[in-house]
Amino acid sequence: MSARRSNSLAARIGLPLSVAALLVFTLFPVYWMVSTALDPKALTRGSDLLPSGISFEHFDFVFDRGNFGQYLLNSAIVGIVTILAAALLSLFAAIAVARFKFKFRTSVLIMILVVQMVPLEALVIPLFIQMRDYEMLNSLLGLSIVYIALSLPFAIWTLRGFVAAVPKEVEEAAYIDGASWFRMFRSVLLPLVGPGLVATSIFAFITAWNEFVFAYTFMKGNDKYTAAVGIFQFFGENTTSWGPVMASSTLVTVPVMLFFVIVHRRLGSGLAAGAVKG
Amino acid sequence: MLVGDGSKAGSSGSSSLRSRPSDDGDAARRRKRRTTLTRPWLLLAPSLIVLAGLLLWPLIQVGKLSLQDYKVKFGGGEATFTGFDHYKDLLTGELLWKTVLPNTVFFAFACVGLTVALGTAVALLLNRLGPTWKLICSVSILAAWAMPAVTGTYVWIWLFSPEDGMFSQLADSMGLIDAETTNWFTERLPFYAIATINVVHHGFPFVAITVLAGLLTIPKELYEAGEIDGANAWQRFWQITVPTIKPVFLVVTILSTIWDFKVFTQVFLMPGGAGENPDVYNLGVYSYIEAFAKNDYGAGAAAAVLLTLLLLAITVIYIRTLFRQGEEDL
Repeated sequence: MSARRSNSLAARIGLPLSVAALLVFTLFPVYWMVSTALDPKALTRGSDLLPSGISFEHFDFVFDRGNFGQYLLNSAIVGIVTILAAALLSLFAAIAVARFKFKFRTSVLIMILVVQMVPLEALVIPLFIQMRDYEMLNSLLGLSIVYIALSLPFAIWTLRGFVAAVPKEVEEAAYIDGASWFRMFRSVLLPLVGPGLVATSIFAFITAWNEFVFAYTFMKGNDKYTAAVGIFQFFGENTTSWGPVMASSTLVTVPVMLFFVIVHRRLGSGLAAGAVKG
Repeated sequence: MLVGDGSKAGSSGSSSLRSRPSDDGDAARRRKRRTTLTRPWLLLAPSLIVLAGLLLWPLIQVGKLSLQDYKVKFGGGEATFTGFDHYKDLLTGELLWKTVLPNTVFFAFACVGLTVALGTAVALLLNRLGPTWKLICSVSILAAWAMPAVTGTYVWIWLFSPEDGMFSQLADSMGLIDAETTNWFTERLPFYAIATINVVHHGFPFVAITVLAGLLTIPKELYEAGEIDGANAWQRFWQITVPTIKPVFLVVTILSTIWDFKVFTQVFLMPGGAGENPDVYNLGVYSYIEAFAKNDYGAGAAAAVLLTLLLLAITVIYIRTLFRQGEEDL
């Protein structure tokens, strides 16, 4: 049908042109980041589309001189703690709102929607003071706790859909076979919700990995930065060494992109739908 | 309260079970009732505690803080109650009305308009492509979506950076600017134009993919009927597509508005964005600078409360939209 409509000359030229424009706009920043990271003469490449050569010296630099391995490790630790806690808590909460009818259920759901709109700048001031009072600044655990809270609402909202998609009959069959609720949860519900749980967890990981405001405010020790904040140090007073900045940016970006493609396939339209609804 | 009642009723039920076997069915029913009352709250409790402690409680604290002067001291802070002084300073100051609010509002509207327009255009494009190109374009859109705000911002700064940046060099060689003397980051308008490109690049994939999902729900017959009536593509879009999936457009517009009002990282990380240049403050950055750079936590909190109230108003509209649609089966 679309072929019949696009017979006119304008459409035949317009379509490929639009595709080309879209690909350039979406991918060019990624290309420019990676090619600058690989270019030994990054700073003077100007508007040359191709890098002047391929070398890994900027990557060596950020690991050897910039301590970036430590920052990546910090980010990974924070991300994994966030995943584990957020997955467990959100799974329980999602089962509650998807499987049970109870008083104030709608209120709970609305609250979950509303707290996602809260700007981080409003939270960072009181949480900074609180964390300082508890001496949790500069602690990876303190940062993880904040990220658990930040990733919970979206995780609950998305998982709720996955739990609701498991037919109630499957659960009832387990009860008829004499299973207790926890046995049913472990042997029936958990395996069926598993793919959704993996996808939601990866999303929680990305949230923690990308976050800037809290990591920047809380972590001030030289070896405590997360990767997203650690890039900052390659900015000089007057000049910026763009090679190392782009090399460390590449290291931060590539895992997220890989994860994102995996998650998106798993979640299908759920990612968009989950985000639409929350 | 509910939980307490339920467990009390349940425990008396189970003791009667032991003494009188004939009440078996009754006790089981009571136990089941107790379970259905308490289990959802037990399951919800950990999440609610975390959300209350780390999202709701800080919100109350920031409200309290905005009414105080807060001094950092060793082993805790010292607070003096000042009433609405911070709000008075904020709302009567020229900075808010001449710089901070216009920056926040115009930037948000520019970003929302461009994000929704571009996202819709891309969705329409994807809808007309064959499977191979659709996949290629979808992956490229995902790449833009996945780009973290921090690293995305650095790439755009690098592209536009004075002297060495690619676009500066390009514009110089075309004779538009002198790369040696032009700095796009010092003036408000070019600064926010670059921030807009950055935010739109990061934000349009969500709109594109959501609108595409909406487009797939529109029956083809509608378009065929439109074609028979002689409507051209432009008219078909405005008179068939837009009215049919109006709820989708409402949702992506409101969500984009919420997100674009609270843009922080993309502005803060730009040259001059972290407080060096007050001309480019937006509400979030202003709040952060007041609190953490000037150590005036009360004033920062007041600005943060203002931002929160703005977002809350938009959120209320959003939730009412969801409910009016009736799509949301809460």
